[in-house]
Amino acid sequence: MTTIVEARGLTKRYRGITAVDSVDFSIARNTITGLLGRNGAGKTTLMHLLTGQEFATSGTVSVAGGNPVENAAVLQHTCFIKESQRYPDDFKPKHVFAAAPGFFPHWNSEFAHELATEFRLPLDRKIKKLSRGQLSSVGIIVGLASRAPITIFDEPYLGLDAIARQNFYDRLLADYAAHPRTIILSTHLIDEVAALLENVLVIDSGRILIDSPVDALRAHAATIAGPAAAVEQAVAGLDVIHRERLGGFVSATVAGITEQVSRAAAAAGLEVGPVSLQQLIIRQTGGAPTDHEEVSR
Amino acid sequence: MTATTMTAEPLSTTPRPFAIRIGTVVRLLFANPSTAIYTPLMILGVILLMNIAIWGIVRASIPPEGDMADVANGGVAFLFIYMLVVAVQSVNQAFPLALGYGSTRRDFVLGFGVFAVILSVGYSLLLVAASVVERATSGWGVGLTFFTTYELLQAEWWEGLALSLLGFLLFFSIGAATASVYVRWKAMGMYVFWGVLVFAGIGGAALVTMLDAWGRVGEFFAWAGLLGGAAWSLIITALCALAAWLILRRATTSG
Repeated sequence: MTTIVEARGLTKRYRGITAVDSVDFSIARNTITGLLGRNGAGKTTLMHLLTGQEFATSGTVSVAGGNPVENAAVLQHTCFIKESQRYPDDFKPKHVFAAAPGFFPHWNSEFAHELATEFRLPLDRKIKKLSRGQLSSVGIIVGLASRAPITIFDEPYLGLDAIARQNFYDRLLADYAAHPRTIILSTHLIDEVAALLENVLVIDSGRILIDSPVDALRAHAATIAGPAAAVEQAVAGLDVIHRERLGGFVSATVAGITEQVSRAAAAAGLEVGPVSLQQLIIRQTGGAPTDHEEVSR
Repeated sequence: MTATTMTAEPLSTTPRPFAIRIGTVVRLLFANPSTAIYTPLMILGVILLMNIAIWGIVRASIPPEGDMADVANGGVAFLFIYMLVVAVQSVNQAFPLALGYGSTRRDFVLGFGVFAVILSVGYSLLLVAASVVERATSGWGVGLTFFTTYELLQAEWWEGLALSLLGFLLFFSIGAATASVYVRWKAMGMYVFWGVLVFAGIGGAALVTMLDAWGRVGEFFAWAGLLGGAAWSLIITALCALAAWLILRRATTSG
């Protein structure tokens, strides 16, 4: 695996706030990484640092072999789609798509127009007059059609309905398979994208809490549910990251589970189930389960 | 870095040619030509037609041997102010987009410079050409002096061209510098900027008054001549351009 993004001791401090706090991580080339975390966790700042939009307070970041800040050699490979991207007031989507090819050498115009039709984006309407969802689809289309070797999406789906979001995930995966590239996707909607992600970086209060392949994360966690006494016996000595009680029943989410444990639990008549990525991350970051609230956002 | 996977070729570590990078920014700034080109031309055309109409009415209502004064009516001055606004909007609105799409700050500033020079040259040529036509048709047939200022009636066409060019470049650079203050420091930057500017202006005027030097200021411009005096604006233009670059090179798109 070739490392394409590498951060060492990367820190960004604003007046009084440490948005990114000495993070170390690396991202392998041609993988899809989810950058997950709560609002204000530091996701956007981190992405700004990766694309040279922000200047690091300390530490280093290397993208495609170089420091991205003011580095045309690096930035020619990147495409950064921000949730809050501003466009010139008089621009229509067609102007964006006309200007984009210059920035992205691998831009595919046909693909962009195909996506515009699919997302029902009016090309000839002022961007200021677009709905929030349509505005998001401008970003998504640029991000996909850019086919940039390093494509970074920062919560690109605001205002998109479930069908459009699914459409985005499907297109992303299909195009990624046909044109492998490095994709970093920050999101709240963990379960929606869980199937896409190969790796997750979970950031909270500016620090990386989890940096792991999704498979490994999933394989080592499970829920064991059943009568309280039997469950407690099965999980004794294990790392229980969450317990839910309902009358005499307990459902325990266990990290670091082994094949032996799950087999023993199953043999004891307990129910052993997978943990959703979202639940797992919420448990591991010590947050309250707020998935319903997050999905409706 | 060595690639260990067979499929992926290593990414190029040489930047794309300078001209392509700058051209990309220029193309972005011209992506929608309506604000910078179509709208001002339309406004200019409408003002011109209205002036011709009014002048025609006046002409028709005075005896043929009556004389009309050669007054510069200043109708084209809006174009300079308009370009200042174009500069402000372009820097303020295109900067975050260009950076998001992988332009460096340096390439953006240079691309904006090319954009400003193209428009300045284009509009200057247009104004001079219109002025030549105006003189050839004795004021669009009705004695209107719209594109030809009083001073330029005696001047050569290239002097008019140089004057317009200096004017447009000055207004573009002032717009770019002002917008860059906003891009970098937002509203707080604007308060400080305008505060300092007002103080500097009042202070400068007070200084000249206290030194009783207004006469000498007048003498300077009389000595330098129209074009000579205007040429000194290049200092302000250069300082504004430099300021825009120094401010934008550390600007970010957030906050």
